[in-house]
Amino acid sequence: MALRSTAGGWGSVTRAFHWGMLLLLIGIVSVGYYMTGLPLGAAKLQIYALHKSIGLTLLALVILRALWRLSEQRPALPPMPIWQVRVAIGTHLLLYGLLFLMPLSGWLYNSASGFPLQWFHVLNLPALARADPHLKVLARSLHEIGAGALIGVVALHMLAALKHHFIDNDVTLRRMAPWRGDRF
Amino acid sequence: MKRVVAVFRAAFVALAFVATLAVAAPVYPVVAARSSLAFSGTQQGERFNGVFRAFEARIQYAPDDLAGSHFDVTIPLKSLDSKNSERDAALATAEWFDFTHFPNATFRTVAMHMTATGVVADADVTIKGRTRRIAFPFTWKGSASGATLDARVTLDRLDYGLGTGDWADDAMVGRKVEVTVRLVLGPVVPVEVPAAKPTLKAVGQPKAKR
Repeated sequence: MALRSTAGGWGSVTRAFHWGMLLLLIGIVSVGYYMTGLPLGAAKLQIYALHKSIGLTLLALVILRALWRLSEQRPALPPMPIWQVRVAIGTHLLLYGLLFLMPLSGWLYNSASGFPLQWFHVLNLPALARADPHLKVLARSLHEIGAGALIGVVALHMLAALKHHFIDNDVTLRRMAPWRGDRF
Repeated sequence: MKRVVAVFRAAFVALAFVATLAVAAPVYPVVAARSSLAFSGTQQGERFNGVFRAFEARIQYAPDDLAGSHFDVTIPLKSLDSKNSERDAALATAEWFDFTHFPNATFRTVAMHMTATGVVADADVTIKGRTRRIAFPFTWKGSASGATLDARVTLDRLDYGLGTGDWADDAMVGRKVEVTVRLVLGPVVPVEVPAAKPTLKAVGQPKAKR
């Protein structure tokens, strides 16, 4: 498998981004929904710290991934109706948008709440804004709505991939698979 | 005539002496709006600042009468504000200040002495029922309209049982907490005449039944 994508399939870097980020997303979303209900205490703070550290990791990854994606060619889409092409493009743009929105709104929420931000006890990051109760509410809403939207769009993306694989019998899913080469 | 002058002089000296005793270390009123009791700690490697919005301080001080000088401060802990509602809520719990059982912290000087760098008070700080004696160096600046008192001390939160259990970890919340005191003190209040007190009481309180 080549590092870079070709007209026929995705390169290994893109596949690594795709599946690595999916694993981190499953982890961060699970932690995210679990942690909010925890009682106030040191454990809660540590789990929030983990959530924030994974979120910052995902922010770095989506920046690198977007740059990488812009720097290489996209494999041609298999034959499909034009509306499906449009939906596919829209879904992918929405995925990228939400992958940026989630860490940034989380960071903003954290800053507006007046909490520190530290990446795995290694690096402290500056606040995006001053502590502000109104901004806090806004950022929190963005983060929560964004989470729901991300789960929805990922589900749509997944269903579409399964539909291409099992119903259309095309290469869409196989060429993103982590364990196969470009050629089928 | 000389005798009269001598008598007057003696009386004056005696009066002045008594007056000196009475106001040796005057009590200064605190100008609350311009005074602050702030603290600064670290959380996850980042500094945060907070204040106690309310405190009552009785500041009796004369630079030339350290033995007669005394600071007595009571801090209602629920006036704590660290500019973060979640953190404030956590600080109220039993693992931190435990507001329910220990609503106040106190600070009382037991002695003051002059050192090479200035006046240092030995003070008993009581938080959460635990008392520690600390050295409290401070800067006093007297002026025509009153005085200012500035001090900065560093406390170890674990000395007072603040942040027990899983919170004790220094990496999450630093043990050292810097406390900064800035008191702006108004002009000294004239000493009350003791005889005036019963009159005030009689006016202010209902008459006792016979």
